[in-house]
Amino acid sequence: MTSPGKRSVNKWLLHAVLAVLAVITLIPYLWLIIASLKGQDDFFSAIFFPPGDGPLGIGWDKLTLNNYRELYELGFQKNLINSVFYSATTALFATLICAATGFVLAKHRFRGRNLITLVVLGALIVPPTLLLAPGYELLYDIGLLDTAWGLLLPLLAPAFGVFLFRQAVIQSVPDELLEAARIDGCSEWSIFFIVVLPLVRPMIGAFMLITFLAMWNNFISPQIVLQSAEKQPLSVAISQLRGVYKTDYGLLTAATVVSVLPVAALFLILQKQFISGLTSGAVKG
Amino acid sequence: MQRIANTILALRGLSSGVWVIGALFVISAVFVLNREQTQQGDLEFWLFSLEHEQMYIPLIKEYEQAEGLELDTTLMSIPAIQSRMMSGFFGGLPTADLIEIERAVAPQVFMGPTEAIGLTDLTDMLASEGLLEQLNTPSLSPWSVDGRVFGLPHDVHPVMLAYRADLTEAAGIDLTQVETWEEYFRALRPLMKDEDGDGKPDHTPLSFWYTNQDMIETLLLQGDGQLFTQGGTPTIDNERNAMLIAEMASWCVGPDPVAIYVDEWSAGGHQDKVNGVAIGYIAPDWMCSIWKMHVPGLEGKLKLIPLPAFEPGGRRTSVRGGTMLGIPKTTEQFDRAWAYAKLLYTSPEVARQLYQEVDIISPVKSLWDDPVYDQPDPFFMNQRKGRMYIELAPDIPLRPSSPYNKQAAIDVRDAMGQLADYARVNRVYTSEELLPKAKELLSRVQKQTERRMSRNAFAAEDLAASGRGGEQ
Repeated sequence: MTSPGKRSVNKWLLHAVLAVLAVITLIPYLWLIIASLKGQDDFFSAIFFPPGDGPLGIGWDKLTLNNYRELYELGFQKNLINSVFYSATTALFATLICAATGFVLAKHRFRGRNLITLVVLGALIVPPTLLLAPGYELLYDIGLLDTAWGLLLPLLAPAFGVFLFRQAVIQSVPDELLEAARIDGCSEWSIFFIVVLPLVRPMIGAFMLITFLAMWNNFISPQIVLQSAEKQPLSVAISQLRGVYKTDYGLLTAATVVSVLPVAALFLILQKQFISGLTSGAVKG
Repeated sequence: MQRIANTILALRGLSSGVWVIGALFVISAVFVLNREQTQQGDLEFWLFSLEHEQMYIPLIKEYEQAEGLELDTTLMSIPAIQSRMMSGFFGGLPTADLIEIERAVAPQVFMGPTEAIGLTDLTDMLASEGLLEQLNTPSLSPWSVDGRVFGLPHDVHPVMLAYRADLTEAAGIDLTQVETWEEYFRALRPLMKDEDGDGKPDHTPLSFWYTNQDMIETLLLQGDGQLFTQGGTPTIDNERNAMLIAEMASWCVGPDPVAIYVDEWSAGGHQDKVNGVAIGYIAPDWMCSIWKMHVPGLEGKLKLIPLPAFEPGGRRTSVRGGTMLGIPKTTEQFDRAWAYAKLLYTSPEVARQLYQEVDIISPVKSLWDDPVYDQPDPFFMNQRKGRMYIELAPDIPLRPSSPYNKQAAIDVRDAMGQLADYARVNRVYTSEELLPKAKELLSRVQKQTERRMSRNAFAAEDLAASGRGGEQ
């Protein structure tokens, strides 16, 4: 048995170690934010704050919001809205479609079910790069190049999501509950929305976040499908700030901050479900 | 109604994050769907460099007003251009009317039979309009297949040696008369002292390392090494290549290496340059603007000289990087696209701006008389840098357009790494001692490349016709 005093010391020690590790984790973010406030001349003058005559030997007057102003003048807000639209649309609809498909594959018996499941599994092993050329041709043939639909449609029913929800439904939704709902006169749609979705809630949060982040960071597809600059998401707009010969790193880091903050905030809101979604099924209960 | 209410009641337990995403969807959709659609121009131009776009736009606007034509420029990353262009070429779909293509990507376009290349063959147009004579001839080689030219060269990118003249002059060393690498390293020996007592020389003559594929390829080309013939046959295992990689590996090993690794792009590498860790740096013209931007501390400390040769009388320059402008076969407006291509790539204004802003010299020989190239550059101790690069431009080596060149260059770099390891383990440090092993390693790369090429039906045919590729 350890005494309460010793336990308290151990707890403090543990917290101190964790605090140090937390600070270390935060250093790159701190660097990013400070770098976004530096001008081109000061960017390479010091790792963190620019040197100067201010308190702590820092040139506080050299920190500026000019990079953010310039981003606004470049019309970055349009790209931000595009990113939000593409990511939120994909997250919502892909979750809904995958959950519905997963439910059907898990709980409905019909001819060809196993074949469809196999096709979904098979689709998981096809490298996305392989689909670039045929995907481009298909989108061209159906006239969806340079449209939001052209970007979003191929991403609305990812095989990974369908399989994930199939497994989640098998694990979390008892057949007896579905039978009871049917006896009570529930339609299949009502069963899906009222019974199934609430039961796979942790998976919804996790999958939504994964999909949102994947679309937020998606770089190649928007460049292939979208041609007009005003339709491009943040990921593409940021890459275009990098010159081939020279780069305004202050501007680039400011754009990175703008790109990181919304997803960081979303992760904070969804983290509980994200973690429970990832660990659901890890412990039998 | 009751059903909808029940559904909402059932879903109320979903986390706030889901509702936040839902709200984001609704708000952003309002903005996106109400945005005005822009009108499509008459011609489409894909390019990867913001700097190029900014230089072209005033000229494009002027031309648009005069001709009543609209040219849309679309800026994309190099991988995006590559994916979109290749998807279009493979699918036989329209891409853009003009595409700027970077050297690393271009060879992919040339994979397959010449007649199936997705870009228009410009050779006859160039010849009939007298442009072939106007352009720096070696600058056409990376964009040519079987003697046919598929792109207008954007640049020359000759290479010189930039060195820390402040340090050499303080030590009384004159590098201007140096002719060969051997003389260069010998001249700088006095600076390789360890005065700070950290066990390493304070200065090393050359920033070069056997892990840097671009540097290896640059010097290999300088020394007349050749990975592929102009016809695309691999000649990696030739005697000259072996001699060159043995020589370069010998610079990096032994008790007193004359080369050191200084990162070209990182802040740490830039600090090493300011600290004079290496005296000499391999400097293509475009590198000058990068140093001005990222290492301002080097201003007034560097001077340029032609690259020292591998042997007396050898080539004093090389080439690194490059861009071309191509016109896809699928364009429905070739004449207009060609007119734009000539306008942008032979314009004296663009050429001048290209030099003033990013230190790149134009491949159009008639523009080399521009006084802008004679202006002293304070960053390089007031040397007339532009003129120095231009003087070397006609001597840049020819480069192959083989689609297998990039992978072969990576394999040669790996071979050089193995050669350096071999040198350390066996304590053999001279190029003569390393030569047999270099031959053995390059022979392996040659076989690897032939195997790779034999998997491509078209390349395999050429390989068989050339008498190589017998061993699979």
